[in-house]
Amino acid sequence: MNELLYNFAMWLDSQELSTLLHESYYMYNWVESTHVLTLMLCLGMLFLIDLRMLGLAFPNLPANSLAERLNMPMLIGFSIMVLTGLWLFYAVPVRNTQSVWFRFKMLLLIGAAINAFLFHKNLHSAAGSWAAEIKAPKNLQIGATLSLAFWILIVICGRFIAYDWFDCEYTEPGLAQFLSGCIDGQTVF
Amino acid sequence: MSTSLAMTLDSYRRTITTVALVLIMLVFALSSARRAVWVDLYEFFLWMETTWFGVIGKTWGAAFAVVEAFHLLAMALLGGAVFVADFRLLGWCFSDVPAQEILDKAHKVFVVSLIVVLATGVFMACGVAGKIYWLPVFWYKMLALATGILFVFFIKRPLLRRDLNDINPRVIKLVAVTSILIWVTVAATGRWIGFAGS
Repeated sequence: MNELLYNFAMWLDSQELSTLLHESYYMYNWVESTHVLTLMLCLGMLFLIDLRMLGLAFPNLPANSLAERLNMPMLIGFSIMVLTGLWLFYAVPVRNTQSVWFRFKMLLLIGAAINAFLFHKNLHSAAGSWAAEIKAPKNLQIGATLSLAFWILIVICGRFIAYDWFDCEYTEPGLAQFLSGCIDGQTVF
Repeated sequence: MSTSLAMTLDSYRRTITTVALVLIMLVFALSSARRAVWVDLYEFFLWMETTWFGVIGKTWGAAFAVVEAFHLLAMALLGGAVFVADFRLLGWCFSDVPAQEILDKAHKVFVVSLIVVLATGVFMACGVAGKIYWLPVFWYKMLALATGILFVFFIKRPLLRRDLNDINPRVIKLVAVTSILIWVTVAATGRWIGFAGS
C-alpha cells in the first residue's frame, strides 16, 4: 500500500504543473492563504453551529434553523478548502503522502465526515421538538462536541504538516517511519 | 449653516476620531517617523524573546505549533462571528430575525475569540520577536488589527446600537463590507507573516 501511494505521488511529482505550482512563490502562497482564509468561513460557521448545540452561542435562536442557514456558507467554505487542499497536495505530493501528520489529518477528516453525517441524521429526526431549548438533545450535543474535537485536531495536524520532525530523511527506522510510510531506498524530498 | 455642519460632525465624532487615529497610524507606519523610534522598539522586541513566552516558543517547537493552531482556530471563530453579523446586515441570512439580536450574540462570540487571538498572538510574537520585527507584513498586520479593533468598538458597535431603521441602509451595508474586508485583511496579512519569515 505504501509503495502504491509512493509511486502515485512520484507520478504526480513528475508532472510539470506540480513543479510549477511548488516553485511559484506567489501562486503557492496564495493557494495556501486561500486554504487558511476559508477556515474563517467554513470552520467559523461550523463552530457556531456546534456551540449553539451546546448552548454556548446564540442561545435564543432556534438551533435547527441556525444550523440550516449556516450550512450553505459552511459548505461553500468547505468546497474551497477541499479544492485548495488538493492543489496544495498536488504541489508537494511525495512529502505530503509521507507525512505522518497528513495521514492523521486524512483519518480525522474521515471521522469528521462520518460524525457530520450522523449529526445531520439526528438533527432531522429530532427536528422541531427542542428548537427553542438552550441546549440540544444529548445525542446532538455529543455530535457537536465530537465535531469540535475532530476539527481542532484536524487544524493542529494541518499546522504540523509544515514541520519536518518526522520526515523520512530525518528519522531512524522505527515507528515514525512506519507511520509515515517511508520506503527503503526511496528518493528523498 | 455652520451650526448644522457642527451638529452633523458632532454626531460622527467617534467615527472621525477613529479615522483620524488610523490615518495617524498609517502616516507613522509609512513615514520616517517609524524609523526614528526604530531602535528603541527593537530593544523591546528583543526583550520579548527573553520572557517566559519567548523562551517556551523558541525552545519547544511543538508548543509553538499548538498555540499557532489555536490562534488559527480562534481566528476561524472570529471569522464566523464577523460573517454572521455582517451577512445579516447585508440581508443575506437571518432576515426574519431582528438584526440587533444577531449582532449582540455575534459580538459576544467575537469578543471571546478576539481575546484568544490576542493572547495566542502575543505568545507567538514573543517566540519570534527578533525576526518579525524586520518584516513589513507584520507591521501591516498590526495596523490592520488595530484598525479592526478601533472599527468594531468605536464605529460599528456604537453606530449599530441605534435603531437600524434610523440609519441609511447604504451606511449599514458599507459598515458590513468594511468589516469583512478589514478582518479578511487581518487574517491574510497574518498568514503572510509565515511566508515572509521563511
